[in-house]
Formats: sequence, structure tokens, C-alpha cells
Amino acid sequence: MDLFFGGTLALFGSFHTSLIFALGLVGGMLFGAIPGVNMLTLGAVLLPFTATMDPTEAVMLFSVIYCAGVFGGAITAILFNIPGAPENAPTCFDGYPMTQKGEAGKAIGAAVMCSAVGGVASAILMMTATGLVASFAIRSFGPPEIFALIFFGLAVSASIGAKTLWKGWLSVFAGLLIATVGTDPVAGVPRFNEGSFFGLQYQSYYLSAGIHFIPMILGFFAVSEVLAQSINISKGTRERPKAALDFPSLAEFWRVRFTMLRSIVIGFFSGVLPGIGATLAAFLGYSQAQRWSKNGKNFGKGELEGVVASETANNSATGAAMIPLLALGLPGGALTAMIMGIFQIHGMEPGPLIFINSSDLVWVTFAAMFWANVAIIGLGWVQTKTVVHILRIPFRWLAPGILMLATVGAFGLRNLMIDVWVMFLAGVVGYFLRATGYSAAGIVLGLILGKLGESAFAKSMQLMDFNLLGFFERPIAAILILLGLAAIVTSIVSEIRGKEIQKALLD
Amino acid sequence: MTSILSRAAIAGGCLLALTAGSAIAQEMAKPDGFGDRPITIIVPYGAGGGSDQLTRAMASAMEEVSDLSFQVVNKPGGGGTAAIPDFMLARADGYTIMEAIDDAVSAYASGEIRENPAEDWIPLCMAQITFNQLYIRSDDERFSDWESFVAYAKDNPGEVSIANVGKAKSMERISMDQLEEVVGIETKQISFDKPAERYGALIGGHVDALFEQPGDVRNFLEAGQMKPIVTFLNERPELFSDTPTIREVGAEFEPLTRFRGFYVKAGTPEDRVAYLEAVCEAGFNTESFQNFNKDKFMDVIDSYRDREGAVELINNAAQTYKEKFAEMSN
Repeated sequence: MDLFFGGTLALFGSFHTSLIFALGLVGGMLFGAIPGVNMLTLGAVLLPFTATMDPTEAVMLFSVIYCAGVFGGAITAILFNIPGAPENAPTCFDGYPMTQKGEAGKAIGAAVMCSAVGGVASAILMMTATGLVASFAIRSFGPPEIFALIFFGLAVSASIGAKTLWKGWLSVFAGLLIATVGTDPVAGVPRFNEGSFFGLQYQSYYLSAGIHFIPMILGFFAVSEVLAQSINISKGTRERPKAALDFPSLAEFWRVRFTMLRSIVIGFFSGVLPGIGATLAAFLGYSQAQRWSKNGKNFGKGELEGVVASETANNSATGAAMIPLLALGLPGGALTAMIMGIFQIHGMEPGPLIFINSSDLVWVTFAAMFWANVAIIGLGWVQTKTVVHILRIPFRWLAPGILMLATVGAFGLRNLMIDVWVMFLAGVVGYFLRATGYSAAGIVLGLILGKLGESAFAKSMQLMDFNLLGFFERPIAAILILLGLAAIVTSIVSEIRGKEIQKALLD
Repeated sequence: MTSILSRAAIAGGCLLALTAGSAIAQEMAKPDGFGDRPITIIVPYGAGGGSDQLTRAMASAMEEVSDLSFQVVNKPGGGGTAAIPDFMLARADGYTIMEAIDDAVSAYASGEIRENPAEDWIPLCMAQITFNQLYIRSDDERFSDWESFVAYAKDNPGEVSIANVGKAKSMERISMDQLEEVVGIETKQISFDKPAERYGALIGGHVDALFEQPGDVRNFLEAGQMKPIVTFLNERPELFSDTPTIREVGAEFEPLTRFRGFYVKAGTPEDRVAYLEAVCEAGFNTESFQNFNKDKFMDVIDSYRDREGAVELINNAAQTYKEKFAEMSN
């Protein structure tokens, strides 16, 4: 506890450090909210200057940017169906329908509170259990366990956003198929990068790099939504969403307390595994909430609980992602890698010795993340009362803005114009998929998890001498795979039964 | 946010003002009409990675010694090949530089890319050169050095697992193949595409050994969690004087190295190339860049090559790769 107060004092002890804290918070949130630039962009710009900064300030700045950045992406997800980052994608599923129902304020309010609660909870868990959790995670979760976790994630999330279970699975498989485009993770063999299409020969470096999920997300969510709304306007069936500023009530939060708790746990454990992180956390948190909630049927139509589940989980993953970094020196993503770089610039190496050699700095990190998440509540409350007014702008003015943000986002990923075309193509395809009851979310999920899963599966096979049953010789992997299989079977059974009940009712 | 950026810009400006009129400006006149606008450096890998960090450190060092300004652009994807079309489409006027590593050379040798880095591109300089080592856990009870490792591998053929990169035609996999052939052991190469997963797999006990460059695992070496058992060089560098080299364990092949450098397109006016070469060298020799390279263990062997040295390095590597690939396809 003394250590925590020490860290807090280092944060707010002087005007100078408090100012850096505030700037990091606002900067992270802005960069997180605008697709195309993200907290990585900000981090890369600031990284060279950290060499001349005091190490405490540098580490604090990046920890704050990290927490605020993950939250920032929720706002555009809710208001315009543009997830600022992949981990905010599940926030769109219910956040955006809430906006259309005139509950934007509520959705943003819930996102704010849940991001903060998830973040604070994971910061506390991080402070108490870093060493313990880190060595457990790294020893128990090898490639087979990670594959099993991804399999489980896909099995339970398959029907998200689709009209029927079958259409959900077809969507996921389409995503998995797209994930196979590009260089394979085992031997570096390029796939689908050359060949002929209706007699047209093609060969492409772009395709050997694979199709990235960012333009797909922007196309499926933002562009197809603009198309859908424009068509509604031309038909005269569109209603302008009300820009309501209500903050969710305490009673509403109390109702979703178990969802929050579940998402905290899911987020924390996904975050601990290097490379899995916040995206799987958000999807898993969302699908588990849908599975266990009494209002599961209303998910995707603007259910507050969906926003709660996704935003709690992705922020809970942030604290957890610091654990392998600090305790083992293993950064899980690009921003945590930058934080590691800062430690190194100042002559400290994250790893088991850091708690002994630079304990005060570790506690500054902990304290910064804790207070950043607390501060999100305040800042978020202000935002709820302000940004929602954007909705008062007529859609014909808003739509070009949304398309521009999405274009910048697709281009900014790797400065390639083709990504922009891929985005627009995904937008048109996404419009028809949604109109026919398929799930854009399912495709995106399949695409993201397909790449991670293929890589984990390949490593597992190499390690276990290509013996498929090897998964069942490892207890954690076996349990996860069995749970996944059970989820598939029960969902199929209930889908078939559901049909029979409907038929019976019709008769 | 603007205020932090502008503060940074002011700080950067001060730094420039302090070092203005430094070595390069005096030694060599800037070609007429060159350097009036920012020069783009394309990094074919993501933000925060090794190439990105090097490029940003080098860009600020080069700004320190000249009045050029640089803009770093990341274009990751395809193991570094996705950025090449953009680089090739840019005009050969010296305003577009690309960072590239030895993977471009092996990709050329295998026919994956058409461009020959030594001919279609002009290397300005190499700024990082490093070597490979094989690492084990320090607390492994089955083996503690190269000899006991080989003995264990011979007793358990095909059982020992080594975390390595995935791509079969990569510098890493070829180096490991060459060593196995010489020593007569058979191991399982496990394809890890993300570095952190590779290190975690060794520390967490999921694999038996790790193939890597020392700068990337420095913290694990210093914490005593990993130790090198063999160095892929001809002579022992001072820092690893206790570790045998591949030459000592019987290898006769020339060890492949990892090198990172900066290129412009062939056809760039010669005076601009010469000027950029000089800026590159002066940037490399700044104190700030030297410190950066030292932190990355890039001072263990000589990390700098000028244009001729770089061409030689590339041609030698390309030769080795071509021979190896021809052997592999037989």
C-alpha cells in the first residue's frame, strides 16, 4: 500500500507531472477515438522524446495513453458504428443501435463507467498478483492451450449478429477463409497471391501480405451503415436519432453487475496471454454476456448489457497486458513494446528483476493506470454531455464526415490506397450481407481469430508431432475444447428445437 | 495534445539549433535544390519493432548532423514485401528512402521479389549488423552447454524443440539447417511468428531452445534466465567469450548475419546519393546513435558498412542463399 501511495505521489506530486498525466489522458482518448490514427501513432511520435524525459514521467505518460486509448475507440463505435480499434468492434453491436433508439448518452455513459470499472479492477488485480499470474500464465498456456481458447471463443461467438445459427456459422467460416489469404504462418508460403480469375492473370504483393481486418471492420461497419442509412433516407423511412444526454442510472448498473464481473475476469485472463489481448477479451465478454443474460435475445438490438460486457472486458485486458511485460519482459502488443522500449532507454530491463531493481517505477506504472481509469469517469461524463450533440448534425452532412474518417482509417493502417478500396468493397458486400441476415461481426471475428488460431494450431501440431489427440492430453486445452464442442452442440439443438416450437405455434 | 507536440517540436528545434553547422554541412555541400522538403523513409515493418526503432533513431541522428528533415512512414505486411511496390513507384530523386533488412536479400534470392537490393536499389549504409545464437534456459537440468545439448539431442533424435521463425527460406531457418547438418543432430523447428511468443515459449518451458539474436533477448540474458550455447560467428566476440562459435564446433560455412540498412532507388542522381551516404555515416557516428546501438547489443561486432561494404555484404549473402535454395530444391 505504501508503494502505491509512493507511486501516486510521484504522479501528482508536482504540477509538471500532473500536467503530463492530463495531456496523456486527453491525447490517448483523442487518438483512440479517431480511426486511422491510434494510440500507436501517438506513441511512435512521442517515443523519441522520452529519452530526455524523466523515466517516471515517460513510463507514466505511456501507461496513461494506453488506458485512455482503449477507451477512446468506444465513442465513435457508439455514435457512428466506427470502432476506433478492433477491440471496440463488439461495442458497435449494441452501442450503435442504442444511438438509433435515441439512447446515445446512455450507451456512452455505460461505456465510460465500464471502461473505468474494468480498468480499475484489472489495475488492482495487477498490483496484487503480477508475479504470480505471470509465471502461471506463461507456464500453463502454450500454443495448444491458446488454440483451444481461440476455438472456444469462436464456438461460443459464432452466432453473434446473425439471424439464424446457420447464417452465423457461414459468416464465421467466410471470415476464416479470408484469413487464409496471405503468407502462411508456418513456412511462409504465399497463398492466393497469384493465379487467374476468370482468365485474368494476377500477381500481387498486397495479397501476399494478407487482408487486414481494419479495412474490413471499417467497411462492414461504417461504410455499409452509411449505405443503409442513405437508402433509408431516399426511401423516406429514416428517423433521425434523438441526441439524448441521459446518463445510465445506478439501478441500471446494478442490474448488470454480474455481466461486469464476468467481463472483468474474462478480460483479465485474455489480457495476460501475450498476443491475444483485448480483442478476444471484448468478443468473449460480449458472447458470454449474451449467453448468460436473461435479455440475451435482445442483444444486437440496443441492449445496454452488450455495451457493458464489451467495454468492461477490453479495458480489463489493458492492466492484464502489463503483467507479462513487467514480470517477464514479454510485450503482448505494439504499445506495450514501446513501454518496454522506454524502460530500456533508461537502462532498466522489464523482467523478473524489475521488481527488485526499479520497484518504484513499477508502482508508478500501476498508480498511473489506476488513476487514468478513475479519471476516465470524469472525462467521460463531460464527453457524454458534449459529443452526443454531434448527432444533431443532419445525416447528409455527417455521412461524408464518417466516410472520410473511415477512409483515413483504412489508409492510415499501412499507408496503402488498396486498403481503402478493400474497405469500400467490404462496405458494399457488408450491406447485402446484413440485409440478408448474415453477420458482418461474424466475418470479422473469423478473420481476426482465424489468423491467431491458425498460427497457434500450426505451432501445436509441430510441438505434438502432428497428433490431433495431443490436445486432450493437456488438461486446460482439453477442457476448453470440450466446452467449445458442448457450446456448438447445445446451440444447434436449441436452434432446431426453437424452429419446432415456432412451427408448433404456427400450426 | 497540441501543446505536448509543440513542446516537443520546440525541444527538437533547440537541439537542431545547437548542432547546426555541424560536421556534414562543412565537409560536403548539399546538392543544389535537394533537401528543401522532408525526405520520406519507408519502414516495411510495424511501429515499435526493431526496424522502426532503428529508423527513428537514425532519422533523428541524421537530422542532428544535417539540415535535412525526415519523415518515417510504416508500411508493414508480407514479411516486409508489401512496402516494396510503393518504394519502386516513387521517383528516383532521393526523397524516398527505404529501410530494409537481410530478408529482402533472401526474398530476392528465392525469387519472391524481383528487385535485387544490390543493383535495383543503392544502399546508403548499413547501420545495424548482428549475429545469431542458440539459447537454453539457465536452469535446464538436462543440458547446460553446447556439448551436453548435442549429447541430449543425439540421445533423443527428433525430440528437441527449437523456437524459431516460421519461414522456411529465412536466414534463421537456413542457419539452423546448416548447423544441424554439420553436427549431425535432428531437431523440431517450431514456427513462432511473434518474437514475444518465441521468448515466452522458452521461458515457459514449451520448447527446449531458442534461435535468436542477442540484442532481442538482452533482458533475459542479464536476468540470468537464458544463456547462449553457441554463437553463429567465426570468432568469439568479447562479450560472449565463454560461448563456442560454430567454427569451433565443426562448421565450415560462412555464418549469415542480420543486417539493417537504408536504400534509395537505382537511378537517383549520383551527387544526392553521395550526400545521403555522407549524412548516413555522420548520423551513425553521433553519440546519440552510438548509445542507441549499444543498448541493442549492436556494438558487439562492427555494425557499420558504407555503400561498397553494404553491396559486398548483400552479394555474399545472396550467393549463400542461392546455393542453399538450389540445394533445397534438389
